[in-house]
Amino acid sequence: MKNLSLFGVFIVTTALLASGCHRKPTSLTPIPGMEHQQGQNEGVGSGTAMPGEGGVTSTPANHGEGIAMSANGKFADLLNGPHNEDREKFKADTVYFDFDKSSVKASEEGKLQDVATYFKGNNSDALIVEGNCDERGTEKYNLALGERRALSVREYLANLGMDPQRIKTVSYGFSKPVETGHNEAAWKQNRRADLVLVTPK
Amino acid sequence: MKIRHEIILAGILALTFQAGAQDVIQITKQTSHLIPVSITGFSGEAESVLKFDLSVLGIEVSEPADYLISGKNEGRVEGSLTQAGVPRPIFLRAYAGGNTRSQAHAFANDIIKELRQSSPIFQTKIAFRVSRGGSTEICVSDFDGNNPVVLTHDNALVEAPSWFPGGHALLYTSWMTRNTVQIFEHNLATGARKLFAGYPGLNCSAEISPDGRKAAMILSKSGSPNLYVCDSDGGHLKQLTHTREEDSCPCWSSDSREICFVCRSGRAVLQKISADGGTPVPVHVSGVYGNLTAPDWSPDGSKIAFTIGSGNFSICVMPAGGGEAEKLVAGEDPCWAPNSRTIIFTQRRNDRRVLCLLDVPTKHVKDIRQLSGSCSEPSWAR
Repeated sequence: MKNLSLFGVFIVTTALLASGCHRKPTSLTPIPGMEHQQGQNEGVGSGTAMPGEGGVTSTPANHGEGIAMSANGKFADLLNGPHNEDREKFKADTVYFDFDKSSVKASEEGKLQDVATYFKGNNSDALIVEGNCDERGTEKYNLALGERRALSVREYLANLGMDPQRIKTVSYGFSKPVETGHNEAAWKQNRRADLVLVTPK
Repeated sequence: MKIRHEIILAGILALTFQAGAQDVIQITKQTSHLIPVSITGFSGEAESVLKFDLSVLGIEVSEPADYLISGKNEGRVEGSLTQAGVPRPIFLRAYAGGNTRSQAHAFANDIIKELRQSSPIFQTKIAFRVSRGGSTEICVSDFDGNNPVVLTHDNALVEAPSWFPGGHALLYTSWMTRNTVQIFEHNLATGARKLFAGYPGLNCSAEISPDGRKAAMILSKSGSPNLYVCDSDGGHLKQLTHTREEDSCPCWSSDSREICFVCRSGRAVLQKISADGGTPVPVHVSGVYGNLTAPDWSPDGSKIAFTIGSGNFSICVMPAGGGEAEKLVAGEDPCWAPNSRTIIFTQRRNDRRVLCLLDVPTKHVKDIRQLSGSCSEPSWAR
């Protein structure tokens, strides 16, 4: 797992050096459904840890804007139509985030490895990733941050080989705290992405 | 909509003009100071409405009074405004139509026009989010929290109400479709609503431009929450930003040509971008440091109010072109009134959120009438 992450950093660094930060890395296999926008997003946040980041961060290899979403297809029908939801299956894999950050921390990577492994063996299932924030942001800001967190989880799983169209993101900002206290003990529990297993009815 | 019927006596009219030149000097001096007044002759609702309204713009009952406000509310509201030491009133008017509350608001509007030279706001509406237990709804009320009407009953999360110019409809962000965050348009006259933006991923924080022609909003369909514009009917969607980190909190310039929004780049910063597209330009802000979120551009185009902080929030105001920001009061999510002077904002008190009014020049703060539960995300019809 650690090797994978280091490998990712290596790829990113190499790509950045090769491109002078002006192009998306071309050595990576494009993910189906990814939106290519030439000449835009030059060098934005590519492959760098955010200033002040406490722990080690991993950066999805497809950095750019992210992975575009699709409203059509088998998994869109499943995710938007009738299905069963299991909130317990990945309860232990809830992904936690640093304050005001959306990158997947090294400590959370093993959880997502497990989740990706599950989906390799269960081809008809899908996933809802719910992004949440602590209360220390304004409401509209937190709504976008929660979505960014859910999308980071989606990207991480896509990099592990999961079809991103099997993953739906939804942000709740800070409207769904698991702890209601006004201290770090509560906040760290609330900065999270909940993973909900979706299976056909 | 005008419920006011003015009775202007010929003699009073002449005196109003006579007193004019002398008043202007004194009024200019007092724009950013509290004005002490006396209020006599009113009772009950008329008196409380008058006192509340004037206080919102920093005009307080206090001795010695610079201005005398007197009148009565028997059947209808009648009142006069007189400068202390001047025998004849600046104006004397009687009000008809509506009810005692709306007549008192109309009288207060006339006093504000004289003493603050600012446009009337006491007969305007606000929209906000109200949370009770697990449910949240969108509510519309008078600017002071009276006459509340709960618009939604979806038993679902809902956020970020914002007005169409003219006040005929609202946009808001709703989770009413399971696991889906979409923007709906709600017609206030008919109650009818329709999906405004329902792209894959997040659809939120829509704001209609002051000229009514465009909407700015945040969508994540590209794979990251970015800023988009479309026509006010939802058509001609265009992506304006392409950042990996999320963009949020769009607001419009008064001329509808630019959008100010929040971009997270290490911390949350303010940027501006042309509504036609182009390169975002950072807004230079000095004097305060921290996460800058929830901007709102004043309707006269001169100022931007925003929130600073992470948890311990403060309301700040700066020139619209950027520069030195002034930290005014504890609170978050400011929204300007049509007069570009008053701000409505949210304050967190223990486990509750309440809505407050701020008179920017005097820093005078007043709570509006609160509903039970938590109220937040105020939007002023303008």
